[in-house]
Amino acid sequence: MALESVIVVGGGMAGFTTVKDLRARGFEGTLTIVDPEGLPYDRPPLSKDYLLGTRTGEQIQLADASWFEEQNVQVITGKAVALRPDEGMVILESGRELSADKIVLATGGAARRLDIPGGDLESVLELRNRADADNLRSLLRPGVHLAIIGAGLIGAETASSALAFDAEVTLIDPVEPPLVPAVGLALAERLHHMHGARGIKVVTGVPLAISADEAAHRIEMDSGEAITADLVLVGIGIVPETALAASAGLDIDNGTLVDDHQRTSHPNVYAVGDSSRTRQPDGTLLRRAEHWEHAMHTGSTAAAALLGQDLPVHGASWFWSDRHGVHVEGVGSMLGDGIIVVREKDGVPVASFRLAADGTMAGCAAIDGGLTVRAARRIIDRGIRVDPVLLADPGVDLKKLAR
Amino acid sequence: MSEAINLGSIDDIDEGEAKVVSGAENGTGEDIAVFHAEDGNFYALDDNCTHETASLADGWIEGTEVECPVHSAKFCLKSGAALCMPATIAARTHKVVVEDGEVLLYPNTSAVPASA
Repeated sequence: MALESVIVVGGGMAGFTTVKDLRARGFEGTLTIVDPEGLPYDRPPLSKDYLLGTRTGEQIQLADASWFEEQNVQVITGKAVALRPDEGMVILESGRELSADKIVLATGGAARRLDIPGGDLESVLELRNRADADNLRSLLRPGVHLAIIGAGLIGAETASSALAFDAEVTLIDPVEPPLVPAVGLALAERLHHMHGARGIKVVTGVPLAISADEAAHRIEMDSGEAITADLVLVGIGIVPETALAASAGLDIDNGTLVDDHQRTSHPNVYAVGDSSRTRQPDGTLLRRAEHWEHAMHTGSTAAAALLGQDLPVHGASWFWSDRHGVHVEGVGSMLGDGIIVVREKDGVPVASFRLAADGTMAGCAAIDGGLTVRAARRIIDRGIRVDPVLLADPGVDLKKLAR
Repeated sequence: MSEAINLGSIDDIDEGEAKVVSGAENGTGEDIAVFHAEDGNFYALDDNCTHETASLADGWIEGTEVECPVHSAKFCLKSGAALCMPATIAARTHKVVVEDGEVLLYPNTSAVPASA
């Protein structure tokens, strides 16, 4: 029987892409997005332009309201609280029941809380949605002391953005430098150094407890030091939102388990984005990805799969980060065997490459090297063997090596 | 049709490369990128990516598409169509003509003929 209706639960990148691609691929049936926040919007700007106030809520929407009208996509502002997959039913908090042939779960995740005393304090901030960013922006002002726990992408970006408010910033991470698995040691060191150079206090250590009184927060560190701050923000990743999947009895293991078609263990339910995790045919589980592009790709795959079309082929994974006026990108994986080649310009590392034992490229990261990363992505996807000497030479245009 | 701007010889922009004509120079106020695509033809789009601030002239030109160097949105050089996320808005096209081996840009004149 032809597919006649689809409900997508969650309007982030994964849910929006599912909807967009279903229409782009010719689906003309009933299409609904349910999200507590209404119209879908893009989350990466929440720690950057949106936090700074240089882009508005409307400007970070993934499409404007007229697009949903033109595409005949119904957007329901509401929270889904349960599923009845046999009936294709989604139950909202309001009691409203929606049903469709297929349900796509694009529920994303919640900010992971620190599992230490005080980690659950209500005043400890997180940055996951627009309201979080609005709240943080309202609190940032000259001289306010913001302590950020976690110097990954969100932590580093928010630290950088907070400087624009003349806030005093302390950035705490157990690892020095952070991000080595993502960008390799040379670039990780360069990026980490930028924090201190811009006046951020960098603390390497593990927080043991957070307490708060009316005046301030106090973070007890494993070194014995205590950090006092007006605001504490925690950016240590997410916990996948799998409560709906659980209500439907779907297989879950740190994410709703899906196959290569994004199908869950129930034939009527698909899952995409941060909340999904791939289970391979032999039962092994892939690492759950928490990146923007992964959300987009899994949405595309689900749309094709729902329509019985050929699945799109996705190349090496890719991410970016913006902080301190530089643009960082990575493609593939810098973590693993092989050799690391560092490209320097005027003595400063600008790109790193990981070559596998067979000479093919497995990963690349670059700072302000858009074309380098785009070339590397093609070199990786095409399995091209490249000469490490040429990679290290800043005078060699990588684009020529990708041909 | 607007006045053409002569960008000089076709040999001045290598295949797979692009040149920016500033907004002041082209009269539209917006920078225009003129691309020498891999099909051998020349195309022009507003230089700034429709997603966020980035120069498409600095992007990856392949076939008759350009990929933004910042967030990898792709645009069709012929129609300006946004081919993938994060861009959802088409880039504005400008007509380019090659005459006697010289590249002529017509700012504000769409490269896509209006449908009948």
